[in-house]
Amino acid sequence: MISSEDAMKKPVPAPDADSAALWHGLRDGMLLLQHCADCGHVQYYQQAMCRQCGGENLSHRPASGRGKIHSFSVVHRAPGPAFKADTPYAVLLIDLEEGPRIISTYTGGKPEDVVFDMEVMLVCEKVNDEITLPRFRKA
Amino acid sequence: MPSIRKQTLRGKVAVIGIGMSPVGKVRGKSPLWLAADAAKKALADAGIGKSGIDGVLSSHAFASPFHRFSVAFSEYLGIQPTFSNTLQVSGATAATMFNIGAAAIHGGLAEVVLVVGGDSLLTGLTPDLALRSMTESRDQQYEMPFGIPVANTFAMTAHRHMKDFGTTPEQLAEVAVVQRRHAMRTPGAQQTTPITVDDVLSSGMVTTPYHKLDCSLISDGGAAFILTSAEHAKALGIKSPIYILGGGECYTHEHIFLMPSLTTTGAVESSRRAYEMAGYGPKDMDLAGVYDCFTGTVIMMLEDLGFCPKGEGGRFVEDGQMTYGGQIPSNTHGGLLSFAHSGVPGSLFHFHEVIAQLRGQCGERQVPGAELGLVHSLGAGFATNATTILGTENTL
Ligand SMILES: [Zn+2]
Repeated sequence: MISSEDAMKKPVPAPDADSAALWHGLRDGMLLLQHCADCGHVQYYQQAMCRQCGGENLSHRPASGRGKIHSFSVVHRAPGPAFKADTPYAVLLIDLEEGPRIISTYTGGKPEDVVFDMEVMLVCEKVNDEITLPRFRKA
Repeated sequence: MPSIRKQTLRGKVAVIGIGMSPVGKVRGKSPLWLAADAAKKALADAGIGKSGIDGVLSSHAFASPFHRFSVAFSEYLGIQPTFSNTLQVSGATAATMFNIGAAAIHGGLAEVVLVVGGDSLLTGLTPDLALRSMTESRDQQYEMPFGIPVANTFAMTAHRHMKDFGTTPEQLAEVAVVQRRHAMRTPGAQQTTPITVDDVLSSGMVTTPYHKLDCSLISDGGAAFILTSAEHAKALGIKSPIYILGGGECYTHEHIFLMPSLTTTGAVESSRRAYEMAGYGPKDMDLAGVYDCFTGTVIMMLEDLGFCPKGEGGRFVEDGQMTYGGQIPSNTHGGLLSFAHSGVPGSLFHFHEVIAQLRGQCGERQVPGAELGLVHSLGAGFATNATTILGTENTL
């Protein structure tokens, strides 16, 4: 349940058993992808099981951080008061060089500069001592 | 006679009663009241009493504190059903209630199932609940920290559709214009002021490419339906039972970044399954109720439901194919964009309209001779898709 007070704050991820490594990695400036040793599948959304073959032989490797914009939408009406000051901001669907698609927001430039197929680069943005968010700037 | 491949629930279950509460701004009425008011009307329409129901399927309600809405509803109405569930696959829930209700009757779990939903998104939500309704269904780790409203996920699919197929903002806007025209002939519709493409394009950006008038309404309202076996419908002497001919569902992803394609959705498979069960195809449909949370959603669905080829949805709408005289009159009541959108019950209004059309009860907005109709419900950035095909006795 979200209280009125909480609504003024941006939600902060609460790492769980599946995602702890991802958030640890981001704290150290790395976006960790899971590589399956059994079938070669690479996944961003963290789970202790390969989504393609069901194997559990997964290892974390840092992504290059390079990607390309598959689609985007510039938010003018924020989902709640916490994001109001940020509008307009561009939400991005990015195809990472390693394959997986990731959702994030654009940073370091104006949202109107964002175009399809634009090359972008990872920016690790510290939120607090525990959490760093993966955001993207123009490459 | 259509070709039917296997033994299914096709034609085994009929809708014998439909009802709707007041919709739009309905002050001082709870989701349970809206659902129960609709249920009383559906019972009266079927000519049976509440003791005639043995099953209840409902959706959740954002403005209601009850986890088991269907159970709380039964208590509210004063019945003790022997089959019940509260279903939750976001916007797709409406069609799943029909499909599952029909399957339960066909399988002998129940004889008379009430399908019901009510919610008050316009006047019943506290600010906290309103925020929750906007954000809670998105992933708390991967999506919400970035400030991603539900509208944004749908917007990114429409935006990619524009890039891949040249769909224009004017074509998106035309969906809203057509449906507003439809709503003007629907008694009780929430928005009946005529609009133009320019009105849509100048209505203020919400999340690109969607303007305010590309987005569905926020409403209060409930709808209810009585389903029973074809035999029981006969025994009750129902005049124009409307049969469930086919149902299908498809769930392709949970997270928008894991959607297999942003422009081709699970509606392809859910409708393929429904058509196969019904023994009819898209060309046979006389009208459709197409989930319309946003204008671009309708364009993509007209393609994925097989009414036009992939990528041609924008031109199809521009050519007048989704209205009277066109290939598939759709959302003839005005839909979520202009009639009302009270959460899942919003999609139940599509069922109410299609069934009323198949009964020939729609007055000046009647689609002449309508015998076969399709309703498609979807939700959560196209994560959930469900289709139901309905027909008159002649189509069995
Ligand atoms: Zn694998």
